[in-house]
Amino acid sequence: MKFWNRLRLRSRGNRLDGDLSEEIRLHRELLKEEFMRDGMAPGDAANAAARQFGNTGVAADLSRDEWAFPRFDAIAKDVRFALRLMLRHPLLTAAVVLTVAFGVGANTAILSILETVLLNPLGMRHTERVMAARVHIDSLHMKDASNSAADFHDVQSMTDVFSVAAAAEGRVWTYNSGGEAVRMLGRAVTPEFFAVFDAAPAAGRFFSATDWNTIVLSYTTWQAQFGGDPAVAGRSVTLDGKPYRIVGVAPRDFRYPADASAYSLLTIDPARVAQGHGNNMNMTVLARLRAGVTPQQAIERVRRFAQAQQSADTKEGRDLAKFGYGLDLTPFSAFVAGDLRSPLWLLWAAALVVLVTGCANVAGLLLTRSSGRRKEMAIRLSLGATRWQIVRQLLLESLLMGAAGGLAGLAMAKLGVSLVTRVSMPGKQLLALVVLDNRMLLYGLGLAIASGLLFGLVPATQLLRDSQATEMVRSRRRWFQDVFVVAEVGGAFVLLVMTGLLLRSLWTVQQIQPGFDAHNVTTAYFTKPENDPGFQGRLKTALQGAPGVESAALAYPVPFTQGGLTSSFSIRNRERAPGEPEWHGEAYFVTPGYFHTLRIPIVAGRNLAETDDDKAPTVCVIDRNLADRFFPNQDPLGHELAMYKGWARIVGVAATVRADGLEEETRPVVYYSLPQIPYFKSAAAMVRSQVPAGNSVREAVRRTNSAVPVYDVQTMDERIGEKLGMRRVLAELLAVFGGISLLLATIGIYGVIAQVVAERTQEIGIRIALGAQRGQILRQFLGHGLRSAALGIALGGVATVAIQKWISGLLYQVKAFDALTLAVALAAILVVLLVAVWWPARRASRIDPQIALRYE
Amino acid sequence: MGTTNPEFLKGTLDMLILRTLSRGPNHGYGIALHIRRLSQEAFKVGEGSLYPALQRLLVNGWVKADWGVTDTNRKARVYQITAAGRKQLHTEVREFDMVLAAIARVMEGV
Repeated sequence: MKFWNRLRLRSRGNRLDGDLSEEIRLHRELLKEEFMRDGMAPGDAANAAARQFGNTGVAADLSRDEWAFPRFDAIAKDVRFALRLMLRHPLLTAAVVLTVAFGVGANTAILSILETVLLNPLGMRHTERVMAARVHIDSLHMKDASNSAADFHDVQSMTDVFSVAAAAEGRVWTYNSGGEAVRMLGRAVTPEFFAVFDAAPAAGRFFSATDWNTIVLSYTTWQAQFGGDPAVAGRSVTLDGKPYRIVGVAPRDFRYPADASAYSLLTIDPARVAQGHGNNMNMTVLARLRAGVTPQQAIERVRRFAQAQQSADTKEGRDLAKFGYGLDLTPFSAFVAGDLRSPLWLLWAAALVVLVTGCANVAGLLLTRSSGRRKEMAIRLSLGATRWQIVRQLLLESLLMGAAGGLAGLAMAKLGVSLVTRVSMPGKQLLALVVLDNRMLLYGLGLAIASGLLFGLVPATQLLRDSQATEMVRSRRRWFQDVFVVAEVGGAFVLLVMTGLLLRSLWTVQQIQPGFDAHNVTTAYFTKPENDPGFQGRLKTALQGAPGVESAALAYPVPFTQGGLTSSFSIRNRERAPGEPEWHGEAYFVTPGYFHTLRIPIVAGRNLAETDDDKAPTVCVIDRNLADRFFPNQDPLGHELAMYKGWARIVGVAATVRADGLEEETRPVVYYSLPQIPYFKSAAAMVRSQVPAGNSVREAVRRTNSAVPVYDVQTMDERIGEKLGMRRVLAELLAVFGGISLLLATIGIYGVIAQVVAERTQEIGIRIALGAQRGQILRQFLGHGLRSAALGIALGGVATVAIQKWISGLLYQVKAFDALTLAVALAAILVVLLVAVWWPARRASRIDPQIALRYE
Repeated sequence: MGTTNPEFLKGTLDMLILRTLSRGPNHGYGIALHIRRLSQEAFKVGEGSLYPALQRLLVNGWVKADWGVTDTNRKARVYQITAAGRKQLHTEVREFDMVLAAIARVMEGV
């Protein structure tokens, strides 16, 4: 009741003030008139009225107090006081706010990424019951590979653990969007696909087993291309020149796969299952756990299944055992995240280290300042302030700073996330989905407030103890600060070592030459037109004639994009030794200009030729790697090899290149003549030119056939850079984190020593006056600082050893316990900290006893 | 009223105001005048302290206020006692009587 009346009265705001003064004015006027009626002169009457009424201001103030909220107003007063204090120490405030902002910002941004990529894959809810089946082939060192139809059959048979299973396969369509040919990515899926995710259509329905030539649209496509038409089901679209009927729309949060615009029906020919395991491995098999089955039970079940398959005494069992072929089961989230997992966890841990060291540092700073406020607190206590009021005041100050830092941090996170979504690296489609949602904002603010409490509580409790006590307690506070410094130095050291290891790995990888000249090469994919047999020839001529082009070629696939097409092969008149794993190689389909454009030398025999067309006998060029392995001390020219389309005669040998990544040697490579193998729907144009050629390539394709979509236009350097993207981003971010925590540690250790020196100025003055050597003083304070630093480094070193196993997967040809990196990190941190300690220590040694003794 | 014992007076003043208003609506000056006259000028200090009390009564919902016109045709804020106010007055008068009686007994007992 009282509360509501107050609120009602207060909501009238200024009117209430106005009412009150008007009322008081009237009262005094009436009093004055009363006195005048009694015969007083006007002036005397006014004075008498004032006397009788009393202090107008006090009356108004007291009246106002009646409709105030006492607790709220006290807090508001505290807030105002805290804000004034913050503004009076702008540097300190800025340091605190920036520290919290960075810690919170980095944490929130990285957690948003983790959330989208790992915890809640693709922003899809409730995928924890979905598992992905993957294949490993031990003899080929392959893991996490896609499935063959036989694997799908196997997963379907395990009905004791899976309630439903589905398979999906990549599809590429050409779609006519407003007169322009657009490439559209999608998936062909078995009818159970959406049931695996327990998804309900946003419009229409999903597939039944007989929905030939139908598609289900993704939600984004529905919105973007069909304006969210609720009656879209039943409309028809033309893909690759064939009509497809739209039957439904996937729900809004259904974003798997990240790049799919539509889904068509996949039917699996029993003949394909009969081909057996390891053939045509381009399916993704997903399954939903049966109710009551844990992921772990299902994983174990699949492992036993694979074992049983390998130990079966049949031809198939022996084959599977020979290659070490088997199924693995992975949670959907891990499957989606793939290689992004460990870097993300590492970054998150690093960001937490930064936040915690940041808090330690801020606590140290506030502790230092609070010693300057000891008098203020003592006065307030003696004037009757309660302990709780003082603690509340201090906590409020740090909470305010924490909140300010948190808000700034969220702005930083917002910026960070928008940067991340533009990063170029494998998995970028996934990163493009990252958003900073409300839950992340809450997390960030919570983190900021927790930080504020954390670094506010320490000085508050210290100050309270301090206000009643003595030098004894004060030295304990210093002990507290030493702990902070040790923690900061330790955290900084760990991050520095990590950064060093990752940078070394990055440099090592960057030093690797791919074996071809990637500079000044532009590449662009296109979809081959149907019913245009002369297209490729005409396009090649158009490319070569484009301005600035030195040489041009067509190829499929482009190096550093998806890798060559891996396939098994055989050599005529050559038997595998008993037990020898099947021979696997990678195929590229190229025109003769390929080797010239990429400057790959032909080391023996001849290049592919324009005459090696679809009418001529199939030929191929092999790489040096294949020649050395399969034709040692022997001339491979003239031998025949079968990989694609029957036997092909080897006419030349090209130098070995790394075409899939700098880090790994490519498998043996076979180059086919592109016109001889017309199996693939897309190919790429590659030109070498001194000027940027992206637009002239587009233009050349458009002029040759305007119905052909061009996509994925990138220079070769960009493609290689993208493969390195993860390493680079990780190393750069960790370098930033490491740098910041080093800075924090420096400030922290400087602050502690400087404060100790300030507090002991008199003592030092006396000692110098009594004949102490300045060198002694210097050494004493240097020693104090370096002891904390050494302890921190030692602890950091232990932590480094503890986590080395964890990061070794992210390193390249560098051991997690790398002496050089450790030495450099150690030297760097020691030099920086030495400088930080040197300043205040030198100041101590130069204290003039005359001045020091007069110092209060 | 005023400077001697604010805590004691606070409650008493509330009661006096409520009692005054229970006779009919009045403005601040009128209330002060009435209390002054009936107490035979015994409470004659700081009429200003009337206003905090009036605000307190407003907040508690014991009185309500509206702008009106005085007998002499002046614009004034007129206070009126509410039902809750009458109940409160009743309680306070009873408590006051009890306290008075208790004090009287103590004083006589010496």
